[in-house]
Amino acid sequence: MRLPVLMIGLFVLTLAALPALAQVNNGALTIDLAEKSVNITAGFTGANLSLFGTKEQAGDIAIVIKGPERRMVVRRKDQLAGIWMNRETVGFRNVPIYYDLALSQQASRIAPQETLRKYGIGLDALSFEPVGREDPAAIERFREALVRNRQIDGYFPLEPRNIVFLSDDFFRANFYMPANVPTGDYSIKTYLLRNGEVQSINETQLRVAQVGFNARLYRFAHLHAFAYGLAAVFLAMLAGGAAWMFLRRD
Amino acid sequence: MQVYLPIAEMAVSAESILLLGALVGFLSGVFGVGGGFLTTPFLIFMGLPPAVAVGTQASQLVAASFSGVLGHWKRGNVDVKLGTVMMGGSMVGSIIGVMVFRLLQHIGQIDLAIPILYVGLLGTMGIMMLVESITAAMKKGGEEKERSRLYHHPLLLALPYKMRFPQSKIYVSVLVPGGIGFLGGLLVSIMGIGGGFLLVPAMIYILGMPTMLVAGTSLFQILFTTMFATIMHAFASHTVDLVLAGLLIVSGVIGVQFGVRMTRKIKGVYARIFLSLLLLLVSIELAGELVIKPVDIYTTEVR
Repeated sequence: MRLPVLMIGLFVLTLAALPALAQVNNGALTIDLAEKSVNITAGFTGANLSLFGTKEQAGDIAIVIKGPERRMVVRRKDQLAGIWMNRETVGFRNVPIYYDLALSQQASRIAPQETLRKYGIGLDALSFEPVGREDPAAIERFREALVRNRQIDGYFPLEPRNIVFLSDDFFRANFYMPANVPTGDYSIKTYLLRNGEVQSINETQLRVAQVGFNARLYRFAHLHAFAYGLAAVFLAMLAGGAAWMFLRRD
Repeated sequence: MQVYLPIAEMAVSAESILLLGALVGFLSGVFGVGGGFLTTPFLIFMGLPPAVAVGTQASQLVAASFSGVLGHWKRGNVDVKLGTVMMGGSMVGSIIGVMVFRLLQHIGQIDLAIPILYVGLLGTMGIMMLVESITAAMKKGGEEKERSRLYHHPLLLALPYKMRFPQSKIYVSVLVPGGIGFLGGLLVSIMGIGGGFLLVPAMIYILGMPTMLVAGTSLFQILFTTMFATIMHAFASHTVDLVLAGLLIVSGVIGVQFGVRMTRKIKGVYARIFLSLLLLLVSIELAGELVIKPVDIYTTEVR
């Protein structure tokens, strides 16, 4: 039997993770991430992320991964004198730079739209605050375009991922973060829903950051920008000088 | 193999970058051009932010022009005085260029301005060079061509602040080389190109300096302009990616080797025809992007 082994594994995992789980938890949900951070190294090609959880009540599960919020600008191209150029612009203030979602079943069966909207479960439930435009129809078109653009680039999901139930109350969700995943502090919220209402919320943090040489280079470039520029020039001249010596020999 | 660029914060295919660097290096070896006009659009095409493409390209140009200028320096083919005056103009040009770049980015027209500038500049240079090299190939002879003596134009002669440049044997207003340098500086910071293919003819036809000194002096000027631009991009907008620059520089050095060897086998005129066709090809490709309807007319930018 695989299940008892898994259960023991989970038990050990949750025990180990307990001190770290300082979030509000009414006991109905216990969540553990296989990795506490996503480390971007020089050879980073994306990361798999596994989340395990148990629930002590009946109900559906929704898991939302959200990156830090940023201001985004959506532009619409139109033809002017035969040339396609940006004409209209709508800004949105609070767009998560990354968003992913896993559901135990179709969103519409889990909860009514108001509940989903209140907790931001699902792309349709995310409300972005527009800047610089008032016409609601136009804003809706730009919002749709924003979601579509972010989906194509892999920052928003095309559809929710599945939650696998290993037993009635033990579940797992697998996420994949692409190579271009933005860095920052992510929040992972797990919702337990029943009768269209949220029963319990578990929040855990995930840090997505460059590590090692890459991280040092990034910090150098941002904290000591002038020295970094000098170093870039120096290294380029070194390479150019070496190339010249090398070429001269033959 | 994918490699993660720490400053651009994205993964790119290392093979594509190395191939691009080697190809551009090869072309530099054959034609003596920097090749920024190929690198920058291709990097943007690969999905790199235009600002990172331009900033990183500046540091790559430092390496390319430094190795070039060393050779000319040894042979005494650098007019330092003239190059310094041009440099003065190019510093101003690159500062204004960075501000223009920022402004275009802010109003959301950078992806319109860059292709238009490329199409205009590369298209014009390509056609001019093609016509010139085809005529030269047809003549088959080495008769000295009558040059348009723009440097004797009364308007240029009337300009103030005249200075003597003994090495180039010219007596000209500092505004002329300064203005040419200014243009070069603009090109470096807006388009990420050294602009050698524009500076060289300008120095021959407008300044009237000896052809011998042109290449070395323009490289001298480009070296200092790109050094300045690199530091400015790194300092003001953190857009110089050393990993990307390293890949481009290393593969470029290898490409140059092959290119230089090829020059012994290719006749200069045919090389120029090929280069002009290449310039035209890049400008046609970029022009296509402007007139063909994009897949999605909406684009999203993170602020």
